[in-house]
Amino acid sequence: MKRAFRVAAWIVVAIVGAGSLAKIAVHRGEPINAMWFVAAALGCYALASRFYSAFVAAKLLTLDDTRATPAERFDDGRDFVPTNKWVLFGHHFAAIAGPGPLVGPTLAAQFGYLPGTLWLIAGAIFAGCVQDFVILFFSIRRNGKSLGEMAREEVSKRGGFIAQIAVLAIMVILLGVIALVIVNALKSSPWATFTLAMTIPIAMLIGLYLRFVRPGRVMEASVMGVALVLFVVVAGQWVAESPSWAHAFTLSGVALAFALIAYGFAASALPVWLLLAPRDYLSAFIKAGAIFSLAAGILLVRPDILMPPLTKFIDGNGPVFAGKIFPFCFITIACGAISGFHSLISSGTTPKMILRESQSRFIGYGAMLMESFVGVMAMVAACAMTPGVYFAINSPSSIVGSTADAAAKTISGWGYTLSATTMNDLAKAVGETTLLNRAGGAPSLAVGMAQIFSNTIGGPRLLSIWYHFAIMFEALFILTVLDAGTRVGRFMIQELGGRVWKPFGRTSWVPGMLVSSALIVGMWGYFLYQGVIDPLGGINSLWPLFGIANQLLACVALVVATTILIKMQRLRWLWVTVLPMIWLVTVTMTASYQKIFSANPRLGFLSFARSLAAQIAAGKIPAAKLVETQRNIFNQRLDAAVTAALALMILVLIVEAVVQWYLLLTKRKFATLHEAPYVATAWGANFSGAAHGD
Amino acid sequence: MAEQSRGKHPKTGIRWALRAFWRGLREWCGDAAYERYLDSRTTRESAQPRLTPAEFYVERVNHRYSRPNRCC
Repeated sequence: MKRAFRVAAWIVVAIVGAGSLAKIAVHRGEPINAMWFVAAALGCYALASRFYSAFVAAKLLTLDDTRATPAERFDDGRDFVPTNKWVLFGHHFAAIAGPGPLVGPTLAAQFGYLPGTLWLIAGAIFAGCVQDFVILFFSIRRNGKSLGEMAREEVSKRGGFIAQIAVLAIMVILLGVIALVIVNALKSSPWATFTLAMTIPIAMLIGLYLRFVRPGRVMEASVMGVALVLFVVVAGQWVAESPSWAHAFTLSGVALAFALIAYGFAASALPVWLLLAPRDYLSAFIKAGAIFSLAAGILLVRPDILMPPLTKFIDGNGPVFAGKIFPFCFITIACGAISGFHSLISSGTTPKMILRESQSRFIGYGAMLMESFVGVMAMVAACAMTPGVYFAINSPSSIVGSTADAAAKTISGWGYTLSATTMNDLAKAVGETTLLNRAGGAPSLAVGMAQIFSNTIGGPRLLSIWYHFAIMFEALFILTVLDAGTRVGRFMIQELGGRVWKPFGRTSWVPGMLVSSALIVGMWGYFLYQGVIDPLGGINSLWPLFGIANQLLACVALVVATTILIKMQRLRWLWVTVLPMIWLVTVTMTASYQKIFSANPRLGFLSFARSLAAQIAAGKIPAAKLVETQRNIFNQRLDAAVTAALALMILVLIVEAVVQWYLLLTKRKFATLHEAPYVATAWGANFSGAAHGD
Repeated sequence: MAEQSRGKHPKTGIRWALRAFWRGLREWCGDAAYERYLDSRTTRESAQPRLTPAEFYVERVNHRYSRPNRCC
């Protein structure tokens, strides 16, 4: 009876999921309600976590709960801390959830709501979650080894080196592009700039509190910090209304870029406890709060989706970024569907804290499902606004013009009705002078979130507060990725440099620290600067570059996983990792080729460089802009070279892997697994990791 | 280990749920990290002097932010 009930319940879930998915796929005409998206996503996730992840756990990985995990064997209270699965899920999710799943879907909304939503759901279920899950499991079996170490041991030394370079490359490009997202959200906005600037002294204040007043009392310090941050969100309005203060906090894109570069250097060189750690605590609390509020807001308001399922920009001429739906929808969505970066977290702290092998399914697979849901919510928020407004916010001035009248004329010409008054009124309602030309996804997501929030609490009166709360939330945790990433990048450079000259590798050596900090900041700072001065808006060239780098790392992770599975003789189910890998390689190589060689100057780096050079030769560029144009030509060629290097690394990796697989499968090479030996667990079957206060 | 002491409380009811949530929140945000360190096998078995809360906190944050721990 009980079994029959369970089967019936799952049949209902399957019908709801598939039915909702079919509804959003075939719906045309009238606006569709956002609840169909929520039902489709949740239905598919439920089925995937109940059936597909169970299949992967049982058939592919054969998880073994009698085996002691690293947390049990090493239990040192530092890295290896046996942790309750719900707490660890929270840790893992907080670590993997960054700005990617918010920005990517917002940008991909230019194709319409359908392609992005389908890829967010399917990509997560069959690629992203699988990657996070298998890497977490393999790392648990290897005492919590990192992806790079596993690549070196299980694939080859070259594989390990590619992993290391891929991590550094993705870090540099990621930091450059997310810094650009902040710049585009803050430029000419005294309110947002003031709020974000104030989070720096607030973070330092709670850093001092946590270091000297009540060491390690993170919760009380964070509650105080969050209260102060909410206060400065409101206070920003007073700054924006005061002419002299507003003037001081109204910065151009270039000025903001240099401010961020200086900030990144300081965060990398200052003690961690003073700025980086406390900002991260603040950001974690605000991130959790904002994501839950967004989910609650969508459920309460149940907005209509005004964006059509497909727009005419699937032809590759989209204003937000150029490129056809294949491959660029998949490159743009990035972290909401699959993110190579997650494999660093799955082979970082999480495997050292997990209690049982079976929990890697809930944590590895489950946390990525939740990340995908964040992506679906971002898609809903972006598509719930009028398409005309969406395109006006996200298109660069070189395409739609820099005045409301020009933008309204161009965008209405595309068939998305927009009046100049709408844009002016909206900017006024959210407390900005303009919302035009703010490519990067953050402002349009903030407008979408503010509209949803203000429909729940406060009405139009609070729209400006909600908008600036959303901007602060996005900027705050982008800044957290920026400073944490800069510091990690600094350590990587020191490690690489230490191979050439030993003293450079010592992390406490001040000159080495300063030089490596300057190097990493210089590298991402250059990408940021190039994005700010790029006539096509920067996001158009940098976000795809980031997507390619991130998927390169995902390829590394899937190659490592496949190699280990071959060594484990799990040949029958190998397609679970091989199919996503083939898809990723196809998408990434096609995108790389088009970004380098496409004849369309908006898409191909080289053809854009050629068209700029031709303009100079024809005397069309005024003398004042000559230097900047020449720098742009150099930047386009640099981007082409970086893309080519990334694509080459993928090719080398794949060739390397295929050779290894051939040798293993034909028994020409002896399969040596580098697993830690089996140790039986001493914990009872009900042990949940709770050590205190019970 | 707390394993044995847990049997006394029923694992249901609002009070139990609130306690579990509070404990989880403390663990998630890091408030319970020092207690975990004192309670760990390595610390109990080690002859080394124990770190003070401030020393432990600084050592931990230095370590945590020297490897990728925040994603895109």
